[in-house]
Amino acid sequence: MRVFKLKRENFIPFMKGLSKFGELWGPVRKGDRYVYANEPPEKFVLNAIRTIVPAKKFFLPQKSTILKFKNNEWREHYDVKKRVIFGLHPCDIHALNIYHKFYTRLYPDPYYLKNRENTLIVGLSCLPDENCFCHLTDTETVNEGFDLFLTDLGDKFLVWVGSPKGDESLKLVKDLIEDTTQKDIDEYVEWRKKRRSMFKVSLDLEGMPEILTFNYDSPIWEQMGTACLSCGTCTMVCPSCTCFDVDDEFDIRTDEMNRQRYWYSCVFREYSMVAGGHNFREARSERLKLWYTHKLVGFMSEYGSPACVGCGRCVVSCPVDINVITVAKALLKEKPDAFWARMASSNVEVQHA
Amino acid sequence: MGKPKIGIYGLTGCAGDQLNIINCEDELLKLFDIFEIKSFVMASSAKDEEIELDVAFVEGSVSTEKDLEHLQEIRKKSKILVAIGHCAVYGGVQSMFMGNEEWMERYKRVYGKESAVTLTPPLEPKPLAAYVKVDAVLPGCPIEKEPFLKLAGKLAHGVVPRVPDYPVCAECKWKENECLLLKGEICLGPLTNSGCGAICPSMNIGCIGCWGPIAKENMKSEAMLLMEKGFDMDEVAKRFAIFGGVERAEALKSLVSSSTKESGK
Repeated sequence: MRVFKLKRENFIPFMKGLSKFGELWGPVRKGDRYVYANEPPEKFVLNAIRTIVPAKKFFLPQKSTILKFKNNEWREHYDVKKRVIFGLHPCDIHALNIYHKFYTRLYPDPYYLKNRENTLIVGLSCLPDENCFCHLTDTETVNEGFDLFLTDLGDKFLVWVGSPKGDESLKLVKDLIEDTTQKDIDEYVEWRKKRRSMFKVSLDLEGMPEILTFNYDSPIWEQMGTACLSCGTCTMVCPSCTCFDVDDEFDIRTDEMNRQRYWYSCVFREYSMVAGGHNFREARSERLKLWYTHKLVGFMSEYGSPACVGCGRCVVSCPVDINVITVAKALLKEKPDAFWARMASSNVEVQHA
Repeated sequence: MGKPKIGIYGLTGCAGDQLNIINCEDELLKLFDIFEIKSFVMASSAKDEEIELDVAFVEGSVSTEKDLEHLQEIRKKSKILVAIGHCAVYGGVQSMFMGNEEWMERYKRVYGKESAVTLTPPLEPKPLAAYVKVDAVLPGCPIEKEPFLKLAGKLAHGVVPRVPDYPVCAECKWKENECLLLKGEICLGPLTNSGCGAICPSMNIGCIGCWGPIAKENMKSEAMLLMEKGFDMDEVAKRFAIFGGVERAEALKSLVSSSTKESGK
């Protein structure tokens, strides 16, 4: 893999140069969090940690029209733009690699493929906060799945080239990059040590597939089910969640039918409902169990690795604290500090009507 | 196949749902083009109440005996009956304290005495489905233009639409909003039907639940969560009640009594 150096003062021109490839998107502030937005690079927040929703929105948008039907004729509908997406962290790129496997292996998805083809992925290094746990999911560093990757060393960035497309894109900024020196490499090695020492979460996640399998009938699922709001937030913010639903909308203005594809969730009640009204997972606890066993066990047997990349989005997003960390802690018999656990141990008895 | 024949009716309510249909100004001609409108008193006094309808849209709750008779007539002549707006779907704000046996007391407080209203005998306000079969619903207080046009589009093509079974939170995350519950605010998103596009949370205002309670909502968990965040159970119960309709009014009774028991009041 080729590596170059980019001086910090050249960062903005570098981004502007890359934007000749396509629309430039990067992490900008929204309230106390971040979102990927199509803004000038001056607005990008270089120490942003985890955007509210992950970069999957570029490849399978929240809601998109995939087919149009009018006067007994139909055609596929693509809304593809050339885009540069900046600011994906190693966990985000690992998640995209999972997405890639899912959407290309068994049923290659033309919408995903076209979006992917037209995107230049420019990764960015990060320093973990108290909710990051990519060091436990083996996604702390990344070697594939990006076109360029920037490691922020303060007064400079190291620019890693991860694909022929990335290599090609450097022609747009060739006057801004230079060769690395031994000093740069030494600084990078030090930076890695510092990063490694910053992780706070400590947990035996590697054993999770077995532990989940052994605990399939554990009472903790019932406890979490009692607290779960079935709001779907965990699945919307999870960078490796792939589920969608499809609905036809008729536009009376144009007499056109638009087939919509939109993010859907296995924690929604209707997800497991079949013809005749039977529901395989009527209980919230059953649906949660599906999510966790699919993510951490099922995915493992299908694709060779679990589908959790340690980004911490579920940790900071679930209103009732049901997330990979608290679930793993509970299964490992550690007492998690979580609303759902407190709710389970409170003695309020409520009969629902 | 000719144009579907439709009627648009109102029972007891603010008429805001019918008004929002009229407010589809740019699309009205198109609506008249795809449907044959046989009755829409708010828009025109010309009407034909004898004819069989393909689709009847009904807003308002059943709050008088006259409402009930009217609803039964509409049901009899309509292939598909669509409840539009919170009152028709869930009973409206007027049904929030239903079933607590104080209804007649409140009625007398407002009207003076039981026999004050002579036009038609009053009933405890209830949603349409309490009396007749409802084939489709469009919640909202009031209904909104885009969801209505989508519903109309489906019906025009012979599709009976269904309400999404997921809450406001889904659309809220699609819009990449920060979670207001996590910020310590009362937001009824997890308990409320989606379809509005999470308008209020997108403006940093907690969801008040105007699309009505989602099926199999987890009210207990949200109530306890809000109490943990420092809200008073009475305040929480009142917020839940506003657009809770008849069903939630029932569930709220047990929720309030159990929390009172726990806090030793």
